[in-house]
Amino acid sequence: MGLLLIARFTIQEAFHRWLLLAMLLLNLLLLAVFALMLNAAYTGQLARVGEQSNPQLYLLEFDLSIGILSVWAAYLLSGAMTIVLTIGMTSMEIEAGTFAVIVSKPLRRAEIIFGKWLGYALILSIYTAMLFFTFLGLIYWRTGYFPENALPALGMLELSTLVLLALTTLGSTLLPTLVNGAVAIMLFIGAPLASFVQLISTTPSVTAKNITTLVNLVIPTDALWHGASYYLIPSFVFGIAQQRGLLNGLNTPFTSTQPIPPALLAWAVLYCIFLPIIGAIRFQRRDL
Amino acid sequence: MSSNSALDRRSGNPRPQHDENSSMSSASRLSAVEIQGLRKVYQQIVAVDDISLVTYRGEAFGFLGPNGAGKSTVVKILTGLVAPTKGTVRVLGQPISTVETRRRVGYLPEFPSFHRWLKARDFLEFHGRLYGLRGAILEKRIREVLAMVGLAGREQQKLGTFSKGMLQRIGLAQALINKPDLVILDELVSGLDPVGQRDMRELLCELKAEGTSIFLNSHLLADVEAICDRVAIINQGRILKVGAPAELFDKKKVLEVRVDHISEELLQRLNAAELALERAEDDPCRLLIEIQRDEQAADIADIVHGCGARLYTLAPRRLSLEQIFFQTIDALHQGN
Repeated sequence: MGLLLIARFTIQEAFHRWLLLAMLLLNLLLLAVFALMLNAAYTGQLARVGEQSNPQLYLLEFDLSIGILSVWAAYLLSGAMTIVLTIGMTSMEIEAGTFAVIVSKPLRRAEIIFGKWLGYALILSIYTAMLFFTFLGLIYWRTGYFPENALPALGMLELSTLVLLALTTLGSTLLPTLVNGAVAIMLFIGAPLASFVQLISTTPSVTAKNITTLVNLVIPTDALWHGASYYLIPSFVFGIAQQRGLLNGLNTPFTSTQPIPPALLAWAVLYCIFLPIIGAIRFQRRDL
Repeated sequence: MSSNSALDRRSGNPRPQHDENSSMSSASRLSAVEIQGLRKVYQQIVAVDDISLVTYRGEAFGFLGPNGAGKSTVVKILTGLVAPTKGTVRVLGQPISTVETRRRVGYLPEFPSFHRWLKARDFLEFHGRLYGLRGAILEKRIREVLAMVGLAGREQQKLGTFSKGMLQRIGLAQALINKPDLVILDELVSGLDPVGQRDMRELLCELKAEGTSIFLNSHLLADVEAICDRVAIINQGRILKVGAPAELFDKKKVLEVRVDHISEELLQRLNAAELALERAEDDPCRLLIEIQRDEQAADIADIVHGCGARLYTLAPRRLSLEQIFFQTIDALHQGN
């Protein structure tokens, strides 16, 4: 019961903070700009469609590119929102002294951590889903294209958000707010570098592969993004690419021709479960 | 004072001291707080050093000491915010870690910091819910505690607009929302104006009269004297003395005597009356005279007049907290 009270309180608090409202307003602005640019770009594409030998493929290429890039933007924005909103979820309360009258109440400390986690998980999951569907909805409105496996792709994005939330949940029980934020940002931004280097390299390197695996274990967000990108590409595109020997060309820093390996997916799920548990154990023993 | 040695033989530390009468009469009473061999070390710093203490149900107990004496650390251990390095603590007969114990305890920290976006009513509703209160009972209790702390009519005001004193009051309201059996207060009146201080003291006296146990941390003598049945003096993490305030603070009656001039004859006659006297360093016309009986005050007035001096002041002099500390420490050293 205490857990649900804390979760509700966390949601109320988030909406009373200017931070969330400011981020939502900026997102609205960004979506408006995106809609205008999408409209202009697609109008330009249509104007040149007559010059193409394969107009359908020409338009599909545009639809796919804008679809993947917009969902990538949703992935980045939800990651940024997760970090900004949750870096101080525990540490800021400790630093401000607001926990003294809450922790002394008849509830377990773990309920406070899991309650806060639950509150933020609900907010961020809804936020991610809204961004995802708004971007894809705008694309559908203008081009008529909607990815056939949108829901599995959204699942990957949601899991990525929960992975980051798990990281900041643990971090805020161990580190001061700013340090926790710096760690989360460095890991979130740094994670794709490993796959960038690996994909740019022309000769396969075992070392690079091992480092990428290690990075994915430390912070699986980039692996989950690549898993999401796989679902954003229609299956017949993979078929055509394979027929023409171009399948490797779809392996880019932004896209993948393979779904996320089941072991890595399982690790990401365990990551979401165990990091907050470790955070709760740490908080249980912490002097306030 | 305890009949035991002033020093714990094992540790060499001052032993927890109970005034004999209180201990005897309290033998059959239930404890509110039981602290045994409590020690807290923050990295290398010893904040609390082998404290043992018992307070009783319905008793208002004062914890008096200067800043940095270890008072707040003890309170944080009592409320479960800090884990002891060593020793045991029982609150209302149970470990504070149990949810059931916490349900019966109210706590106001030294520097109450609350979520400023909350309205006063919502703040109390949240804390009431944390205690398991719901519905009409909670609504009624919110109205009651707001009235008790003098904030009736402020239900819809955001805490961010509250003054320091109002925050202290709403903090006390959340500590009382569950009708606690034990209320633990850390420097209650620090943010209050004189009227607020008086109101809070009166409120605590009412709570005590209703049977609520009070554990009051303070560095203000006036607070503990007005409210508390017994007081512990703590310094550098150790309890120096425990007893009733009157016993601790008024053991020596010292009169401040101010006259127009101090003659040799006056000093000789006061000495002849076997009065311990001391000349004040800051005022050549002022004497500090220790008396054993109240009638000696009248004798002093007679002697002053008899010597032809004019008496300007003849008033009891209260010892400052600092003087009480020094006296207590000196007494312990002499006892050794």
